[in-house]
Amino acid sequence: MRNKRTFLFVGLVLGLALIFGMTTGAMAANIRIGVAAPFTGNLAAYGDNIKAGTSLKLKEINDAGGINGQKVELVWGDDLCQPKDAGTVGSKFAADKSIVAVIGHLCSSATLAAMPIYVRAGLPAISPTSTNPTIGDVGKGWFFRNCYTDDFQGKYLASYVVPKLLGKNKVAIFYENNDYAIGLKDSFMAGARSAGVNVTGAEAYMTGTTDFTPQLTKLLRDKPEAIFLCGYHPEGALIAGQGRKLGFTGPLFGADGIDNEDYIKIGGKAAENTYCTVPFLAASASPAGKAFAKQYKKAYGRDVDWMSANAYDCLGILAQVIGKVGADRKKIRDGLAAINSEATGYKGVTGLTFFDKKGDCSKPAFVKMVKDGKFVAAK
Amino acid sequence: MLLQQLVNGLTIGGIYAMIAVGYTMIYGVIQLINFAHGEIYMLGAFFAITFISFLGLPFYIAFIIAMACCSVCGVLLDIVAYRPLRQSPRLAALITAIGMSIFLQNLAMIIWGSRPKPFPHGALPAYFEKTAVTFGGVNLSWFHLFIFTITIVMMTGLNLIIKKTRWGKAMRAVAQNKTMAALTGINVNRVISYTFALAGALGGAAGIMVGAFYNSIYPTMGYVAGVKAFAAAVLGGIGSVPGAMLGGVVLGVAEALGAGYLSSLYRDGISYAVMIIVIILIPAGLFGKVLKETKKSM
Repeated sequence: MRNKRTFLFVGLVLGLALIFGMTTGAMAANIRIGVAAPFTGNLAAYGDNIKAGTSLKLKEINDAGGINGQKVELVWGDDLCQPKDAGTVGSKFAADKSIVAVIGHLCSSATLAAMPIYVRAGLPAISPTSTNPTIGDVGKGWFFRNCYTDDFQGKYLASYVVPKLLGKNKVAIFYENNDYAIGLKDSFMAGARSAGVNVTGAEAYMTGTTDFTPQLTKLLRDKPEAIFLCGYHPEGALIAGQGRKLGFTGPLFGADGIDNEDYIKIGGKAAENTYCTVPFLAASASPAGKAFAKQYKKAYGRDVDWMSANAYDCLGILAQVIGKVGADRKKIRDGLAAINSEATGYKGVTGLTFFDKKGDCSKPAFVKMVKDGKFVAAK
Repeated sequence: MLLQQLVNGLTIGGIYAMIAVGYTMIYGVIQLINFAHGEIYMLGAFFAITFISFLGLPFYIAFIIAMACCSVCGVLLDIVAYRPLRQSPRLAALITAIGMSIFLQNLAMIIWGSRPKPFPHGALPAYFEKTAVTFGGVNLSWFHLFIFTITIVMMTGLNLIIKKTRWGKAMRAVAQNKTMAALTGINVNRVISYTFALAGALGGAAGIMVGAFYNSIYPTMGYVAGVKAFAAAVLGGIGSVPGAMLGGVVLGVAEALGAGYLSSLYRDGISYAVMIIVIILIPAGLFGKVLKETKKSM
């Protein structure tokens, strides 16, 4: 009996090893790029957009014959926007030598958790959406991003959006307890101080909170004129709904995390009169950007959002670099670092992208608003 | 603001009370903490939105049918997972409960997807949004009143069932001593199924109300609510139905006041701290009974 069981067990292990060995071997001819984002869970809506943007570019690249004759393959890593899972995904990508670059991660806290792993393994990562300003320091030259940072976004909100666009002066802040929101809140408050905007209160919440009524009651006591939804869209939509129920009628505003169709779906009528800053707005984009928006709408049936556009460009940048230097991790990093001036910049649907020494890039911000149940450009 | 926070606290407290009562009743009859109870609460919310979106049923009808479905789910849970382990060590049933909780969460993820879903717009009666009563600067909408009414009606109804009906008497008998109850001719298994059905209905109702009120329904919503309700049941004395009701309200109010006055970041910590303090001072919970260890003579 024992012999039979051992024999079966060994046979199973060998069989599995054979299958895994065969699959990796067969794929080694492709250029493999890892894509890390939350594909399931609360923020799966973001991951869907990353998948949509990168898949559009992937189809373009492979239909044109791939990069120097080799097809590109995307490997999806689901990090659930949690540092713990980001570490798991990061280790998996770093250990798989056939993966030459990573597009990701999406959430700043996930990127911060994964970057040390990528630095140790020498794997370059380009994020389409992580906006926390400190990632460049952690990245030590292996990190790049084609979106702006929260240093810029927070100050833009405080010095332009609130006083000039909305014409309001008293703001209450709801921020999530993670790297992204805390960094954004700090930079907003610093900008508010110099712009003369009065922050009447700031309340933190844990991710996944659904009941905001106690905090809203506390904040609304000081009669703010606008509420800053400093976090991601699921909680933002709930704050909007519960705030309206408690009688708040002023405008709401948020940053890049709010720009998602699910915000309107969950918030419903309460989502009206919400503004958010985004790195890409189809209405104000270049002809290439407008064409991309049309292509996206045709392929997926929904309006394009900035995450899809940035992810599309990320793959485009990687494809260009790999075309020049080949599929080697170190060479790709050097190739990305060489895109450091307007002359060498990458012209994509989101505009001109080039990186500074920390891997950051400067991009303009646009403002969207929710009007009549849709996102439109704010005038 | 105190009054508004009290209203917030009583709203969420009533919900916790309804779920806690389910925990406590099941503990009473089979001495098992049904960790999968939070998932019944979650399923109630999902059933309700499925009935409303796919079958087009009006809100109240969907509410009642979803509650009935949760009762059935509770009974199925007992028959499939707990009844086969009736004679096994308590640890086996506990692990099964945790396993069922994980299983149901993932089943919901497969069926409905893991993204948070809003309650279908326009499904709730229109007057729910309107203010019904205003006092002391606090607006109570019809929805608030609906939740309070349902909570009070169900709690009172449960108390009546337990105290005044034969089934209630049978439940109390089984909770006291299973063997003696069987000897007096009570079908113990059927009584236990009945308890699960009641607990399931209450938990499902709580889930639907929370889903509609906070407008966010997702597969893991049962976990946090379940843990808090369990804490409430322990605070009130596990096994005691009035205790669970009081425990739920106390926890809800503590949470709202803590979030409003102290720090919204630690609101969960505050409610658990309250429970710990009560248990330290009154180890059996507010209404619990201190049982002396009796040696089983064989």
